[in-house]
Formats: sequence, C-alpha cells, structure tokens
Amino acid sequence: MAVSWSGQELRAFHKVLDGLGTLDYPVEVVPLGDDISTAFGARSTRRPDIVMLPQPGLVPRHLGDLEPMPDDLAPLGQARLWKDLLTHDGTTYGVPFKTAHKSAVWYRPSVFEQVGVQPPRLWSEWLTLNRTLTQAGITPLSLAAGDGWVLTDFLENVLLGIAPSVYVDLAAATDPRPSRQPQFAAALRLLGSMWSAPGVLAGGVKESLVQQFPDALIEVFGHRRAAMVLASDFAEPVVRSFAADPKDIGLFTFPPMSPGAAAPVVVGGDVMVLPKPTRDDARDLVRRLSAPDAPDPWIKEGGFLVDGRVSGYSPELTRLAVQLTKPGEQLQFDLSDQLGRLGDINGLWRVLTDFLIQVGGRGGDVPGAVDDAIDELRRVEES
Amino acid sequence: MGLQTNGLSLEIVGREITGRPVPGKPRRPAGPYLLGLPALLLSCLLLIPIGVTVVAAFRTPGGFGFGNFAVMTDQGALRAVGNSLLWVLVTFGIVVVGFFLALLSYRLPAVTTFLQPALVIPFAVSVLVSGATFRLLFDPTPERGTVTAVWTRLFGSSPVWLGPGLFWLVLVSAFGWTWLGYVVSLFRAGLDAIPDDVSRALTAEGVRGWRRLRALEIPLLRPIAGVVTLTVVIAAVRVFDLILIVVPGSMQRSADVLGLNWWRATTSGDDPGRTAALGVVLFAIVAAVGLIGVRGLRRRRWAMPVTVVRPDPSLGRSKPRRSVRRFGWLIGLAVALVWIFPAVVLVITALHSPEEAGVRGWWSASGLGFSSFAAAANVGLFRALLSTLIIASAATAVLLVIAVPTAYLVAWGGLPLRVGRTVMAVFVVLAVTPVQMYAAPLRDVIDAAGLAGSRIALALVHAAAGLPFAVLLLRSAFASAPPALVSEALQGPVRQSAVLATVQRTYRPALIAVAVLEFALVWNDFIVGFLVSGPGTTPLSLVLWGEARQFSASSGPVAAAAVVASIVPVVLMLTFWRTVVRGLTTGSRP
Repeated sequence: MAVSWSGQELRAFHKVLDGLGTLDYPVEVVPLGDDISTAFGARSTRRPDIVMLPQPGLVPRHLGDLEPMPDDLAPLGQARLWKDLLTHDGTTYGVPFKTAHKSAVWYRPSVFEQVGVQPPRLWSEWLTLNRTLTQAGITPLSLAAGDGWVLTDFLENVLLGIAPSVYVDLAAATDPRPSRQPQFAAALRLLGSMWSAPGVLAGGVKESLVQQFPDALIEVFGHRRAAMVLASDFAEPVVRSFAADPKDIGLFTFPPMSPGAAAPVVVGGDVMVLPKPTRDDARDLVRRLSAPDAPDPWIKEGGFLVDGRVSGYSPELTRLAVQLTKPGEQLQFDLSDQLGRLGDINGLWRVLTDFLIQVGGRGGDVPGAVDDAIDELRRVEES
Repeated sequence: MGLQTNGLSLEIVGREITGRPVPGKPRRPAGPYLLGLPALLLSCLLLIPIGVTVVAAFRTPGGFGFGNFAVMTDQGALRAVGNSLLWVLVTFGIVVVGFFLALLSYRLPAVTTFLQPALVIPFAVSVLVSGATFRLLFDPTPERGTVTAVWTRLFGSSPVWLGPGLFWLVLVSAFGWTWLGYVVSLFRAGLDAIPDDVSRALTAEGVRGWRRLRALEIPLLRPIAGVVTLTVVIAAVRVFDLILIVVPGSMQRSADVLGLNWWRATTSGDDPGRTAALGVVLFAIVAAVGLIGVRGLRRRRWAMPVTVVRPDPSLGRSKPRRSVRRFGWLIGLAVALVWIFPAVVLVITALHSPEEAGVRGWWSASGLGFSSFAAAANVGLFRALLSTLIIASAATAVLLVIAVPTAYLVAWGGLPLRVGRTVMAVFVVLAVTPVQMYAAPLRDVIDAAGLAGSRIALALVHAAAGLPFAVLLLRSAFASAPPALVSEALQGPVRQSAVLATVQRTYRPALIAVAVLEFALVWNDFIVGFLVSGPGTTPLSLVLWGEARQFSASSGPVAAAAVVASIVPVVLMLTFWRTVVRGLTTGSRP
C-alpha cells in the first residue's frame, strides 16, 4: 500500500492499521511522499495494491489504470464533492479516507492581543493586520515555500475567493489554460501584494524557500518568530507537539476576498484507489479502512477529519468540520490536483516558487513578477 | 601451461623434459569456459534490459533514428547533464585531494593512529545517512543547524545554506565526507607498499619534491588510482538519493542530475523513447569516464615482491624524530575529531525526543532519551531491517559463488588474449552502468514473472549489478599472484581444484573485500530498491526516506533511523577494514 504520509502522520496511520485487528495478509506501507503519482502511470516502477492518493483530482485522469470499487463501497465515493471526482459513468473508482480543510490559518492569540486586533474578516483587513504587526516589530506570516503544495493552496484560496466560476471552469476543463484567464493573474497580483510587503515573511523569501510545512509551524509556535501560518487541519498534531505554550493556539478560516462574497473553502483529501490488477485482499483492506470507526485512533492523535462527521475532534478542528458540512459555503476541491501535469511539481509549483523569488527579490515589483509567472505558465501549458 | 602477459607468452616447465619438443599448439581444454557460464547468465540480467533500453532510445515512429534525442535540447535535461558532469568533476577533485592527504600522512607517520576509524565510519554509512547528517548540520534555523548557529554567533547573521546555489556546498560536503576516507586509505596502502630500497635509492640520487612524485609515487600508484576513480565515479553517477534527501523541494530543479531527471520523466508519463534516450546519454557519459578511469586496472597490477628474508629493521624507513612524530600524532587527532564530528551530531540528535530535536539542536540538554528510536520503530523500521539483512546476505552469497570462478577464468583460465580483453572491457562498462539503463525493462520482467516484491529477485538484481566490479577486483588480485605459485598449482593432476584451493588460501583479502563491499553496498542501497523492488521488499533506506520527507520536524526519528541503519555496516567495515584495503590494493601476500 502506497501512502504519501511520513513522520507523525505515518505513525498515526500505523495505529489505524493496528486497530483493524489481525488481518490474514501482511500489510506493507510504502511512503512515497510527494512522488506518490509514481505509483501508477504508464511505466510505473512500483505498483502497489492500494494507493492512498493525496490528490483526488488525479482520479479522473487515471481511470484506465484503476479498478472499479466493489458495489458495497461505491456509495462512499458518491458523497457531495467527491462524486464528480471519484465516479465516472456510474462507476466509482475511489473511496475517501481522509478529508482536508485547506483554508485554515493557525495563529498565536497572544500576539493578536498584544497589538489589540481580531482575526481578519476580510482580505483587506488581513493586509492591514500584517502592517499593524510589522509596525509593532512582529513578523506576521510564516510561509512553507519549500513545499510547493503550500503555495498552490494559498493561490487557490485567493482565486476561489475572487472568481469561483473561473475556478470551477479550470477544474473541469480537459485542457485548462489558466494563463489566459485575467482573474488568474489578478489572484497572483493579490498574492504578490501580501507576500512582497516588507517584513511580512519570517526569514524573508530566502529562508521561506527552504522551509517545509512543519518547519513553518515550528517557526510560529515553537520559535515564536511569526504570528500566523496558512496550514490545513492536519497541521494540528505538529502545532500541539512543538508549541512552546500549548494554550497559545488559535485558528481562523480564510476570510472572504470582498464584502458580501463567500469565504473560500478549499478541500483536499486522501482517497483509496485500487490500481489494476487488484486482489481480494486489497478490496478487503479498503473495506476495513472505510468502516466508520476505523480512523478513530488517528482522530485521537489529532489532525484528521472524516467526510461528513462533526464530532470527536478538538474544538479547532470541530469548527473546520462544521464549515465543511454547512450548506451554502463556497466549497471546492483543490485545483492544482485537477490540472494534471500543469498543477504538479514541474508546473504550478515551480511557477509559484519562481514567482515568490521574484516578488521577494524585486523589492515589490509585483506586476512584473505576475507577467513573468503568466509567461512561464504559458510555456508549461504548451509543452 | 602458458602464462600470458603483455603479449608475451611464457611456457613454464615444472619438471624434467623427457621427450623432444613437438611443434604445434597445445590443446586448450574447454572445461574452464564453463566457469564463466553462471556469470554470463547473471550478466544477462543487465545486458538484455540494457539492450532493450538502447533499442527503445533509437526507435522512432518512423523506424530508427535519433529523433528521441531531441529530448536533450530540453532545458531541464541540459541542466541535468551539466550537473551530472559536474559530479564527475567533483569525483576527480576528491581523488586528487585524497592522494595528497595520503601523501601527507605517509610523510608524517603516526597520523594514522586515530585517523583510520574516523575515516572508515563515513564510508560505511549510506549516502542517505550522510545526506541526512549534513542536512542536520546545515539546517537554516539557528536553533537547530550547527553551522548556522556558529555562523550567527560569529557574524550576526548566516547565509541560508540550503538555499539557491549554496546547497551545492552541502551536497559536495556530504559526498566528500563519505568518500575521502576510502580514497586516502587506499592511496596510503599503496604508498606503504613501495619497497624501501627503491625509495631510498631515489633519495640518495637527490630526487625530491615534484620530481620524486612524478618519478616514483604517481606511476606506482596508477593502478590504485584506477580502482579508486572507478568506485567513486560509480558513486557519483548514482547520486540521486543524496539530492532527494538534502535539497529542499523548491530547489531540486536546479540540483537536477540526469538520474533524477530520468526518474521524473518516467513517472510523469513521458514518452518511453525519450526517457530511454536520456538513459543512453547518461550511460555514454559514464562509460567514457569509466573506460578512461580504469586504464590502470587493465595493466597487470604492480605485484608485491615476495619477501623471503625478513628485511633488517635498521634498513627500513628511517624513523622520524620524536618531535615530528608527536606533531603528526596531534594533527591526526585533530583531523579525526573533525571527521567524526558529523557522526557524533547524528547520534546525539537521535538521543533527543522528536519534539526536542525538531525545535533545538543537538547541544540542548533537555529531552534526552530513546523516544526518537521508539518513534522510528513505529514506522516499520525493524521489518525493514530484517528485509535488508536477507537481501544483502543473499546478494553477497550469490555474488561470491559466481564471481570467483569467473575471475579465475579471466585471470588464469588461458582465455585467448582478445577474448580476455573484451570481457574485461564489457565488465568495466557494466560496472559503471547507471541503474536507469536497466531498471524499467527489468521491472517489467519481474512483474511479468510474478516476482514483484520478492526479495530474491531484488537480491539477484543486486548481485548482477555488483558482479562486474567484483570480477575486476578479483581478477586483479588473482593476476598478481606470484607466477611460481600458480605454475606449481597448475602442475598436479587435479589442476583446477588445486589452483582454486591455492586461490582460496592466498586471496582471502580480495575475497573478503568483495564480500564486505557488496554487503555494505546492498545494505545501503536506495536507488536499486527504489526503482526495481516492488512493495513487499521495503529496504531500510526507503523507511529512512519516508521519515525524512518533512525533514527538520522529524530530525529526531530520522537521526534514530539513520543510526539504526548504520550499525551493521559500520561494525562490518571497522572489523574488516584492513583486510578490505589489502584486498583492494595489493592483491595478496603469500
């Protein structure tokens, strides 16, 4: 079984497996990290029996490589949101295991109290808040630019906040061309305006580039060198285990981009898929893992949301879970997963990394950096 | 029985001649050729997939041609080629530096007292472990990274060591730390083997400094330089895991090497022909370097003269003055301490709790204990340990069983000269063949045979990959045998077995060297296991890599896994190091 988790998440998953009781087949967990898309593909060098895919958006692109789910599990893959990705012509190809809320910002309430501010309710308030903090000598934001998906999550939130229809069209397009969408450039401009403000990023762009996702959390809660960090629900165990002050942990959700607009909620998750050809053992393991109480050990550890379930979490995660199930919210699946090669390590990840280097190095020439990023994106689209 | 060397054919007569000489050629028995059969079969594990890859590289939709090589105009591929060549340059740099360090330690005796173990330990650990160690040292956060902390203390702020451009420093440091000890040890053994009368004669002639180097040390050490260059080039071409573990994701594109580029291309569903073309380019570069680098191996190695009479100690190398000895001793101690420092950092980091190691460096006094080891054990570390042990033992056993007869055949089996040369050249090229050349087809075959995830299949691939180097090494050792001994062994009625018995007795160092190196190589391997093995054979290195995905936050468990993974090879190397060096350099001593 291939998974993308490592470290604490991987240990939590092993606890889940242990909780399944004795199985009459051995389960070997292979951590493939960000390269999990190597688990299938035309000439895959590793073909596991089950892939725990962190990019559900990849499923429609790999239907030919996947086995349909057995009938008793199929309904699980037909829940709201998931249906468009996992079900094709009435056949279900994947079952969600874990849901991720990618529009959460973790912060230290003590810092906000110190300068007398509230969590922002609008994007413009957020920019003002950053200025207020910088003037008080506090670095507002820690950014894990060492992990490309952190950058794409940020952009997706902004894009979904300003132009939900463009977002949906791009996600559904067979040949997406984000570089031709003016709203895409507008989202980059907004993002650049936040990142390029002097003194906003902890350690500047240079250090942000070598920071991975947990490092950015440690920067905020462990070394207390920054006030907040955009991080999903699964940041919870890292935040709690490295926080210098366990009571000084707060969370707000990504604010709406303009008054009256809905707040963006970007959803991710891990789905179980069965690469061809499959075996009964593999189907059995998927069945066991999709039982309602299977993930309980991980929920106890923290940082785990189950689709449609709102109880049993910490207060912070309960808020996120409620937002995910509330009707009328602007919920959309992670965009970069649905762009195919355009959204991966050599596509959008790279474009955004270069964009960050540019806005950091040009002393805030955001329009120029946006033009360059759009050019680079166009080159990726055409290759 | 004829001995052939350098185009000269010697007929040795071991007993009285009773009849007249009869014109004609002696019959060559075909029996010895059978000795090469297993090696041929095993080599097919590599040769056939390599052939498949080469064919795929030249096959275009309209027949055959160079169409696929258009991939090389791709900017990313070009950068990867450049970086790969840079790595080969780094190799030569390390060999040169190692040579002069060895010379220094040779001229200043007593340096080696402490140096030996300090230099061996880095060589015994895997590339992944040394990469992890140096990433710990160069962590950009001053609370965690040793170098960053010291730099900040001295100059107020520190460069971001893992940042653009600077990550090269970390990569090369890790690579150098691994290989320099090996290079120095081998050169030092070669220098020690220079007969005293030769060097004294030169001294009496007043030949000193550079002239002496050119006249004596460099020519005599050429064969050793061949062995050293070959091994380090192989390692440099296999640089893949080092980059994966050291370079943060955002920078990996600029650190790209051909191996990585190839791998990303295969996984993102590129056209197979183009990725095969990438592999062929990589292969061509390496084969060229390898063939140049091993010219020393082709010549008969400079054999140790057999000493019959113990030399008078007073005629040995003059003992340096006491002050010089003490100076050398101090220098040796200092270098040893510096050299062992990264390993110490790794062990102490592993002894901190995961929470502590993620926030603070190894010098912090809180959170000491074994909880990081417990955390590492929870991700299947011990299963992987067992898996690795089985694979490494099986690969080593298969290799020895097949490589010894083959090497014997090439060295003494009376192969026609041209055949022997060809076989050697093929083995040299195979020895440096990058895994990328055979991984994909081999993987498909293993899958088709239903062996995916079988440890034995993986062990066989490892044995096949290790065979060329093992044969080259053993053949050199066999060929350097005192001719009298061999001719004597060849006289008896049970000639082959007698020779093999002699071989066993005389060439133990070379055999042990091959066994130890192969075991350690397989134990520490990442790339073969990663590209060829299926699920079910998770080797240690894959567990380590999985832990290291979020590097700094998991420093504790990563360090613990690295320590656990290194114990076996380190103990093995320290135990057999002397023998290994002897086996690698002077072949044999009766």
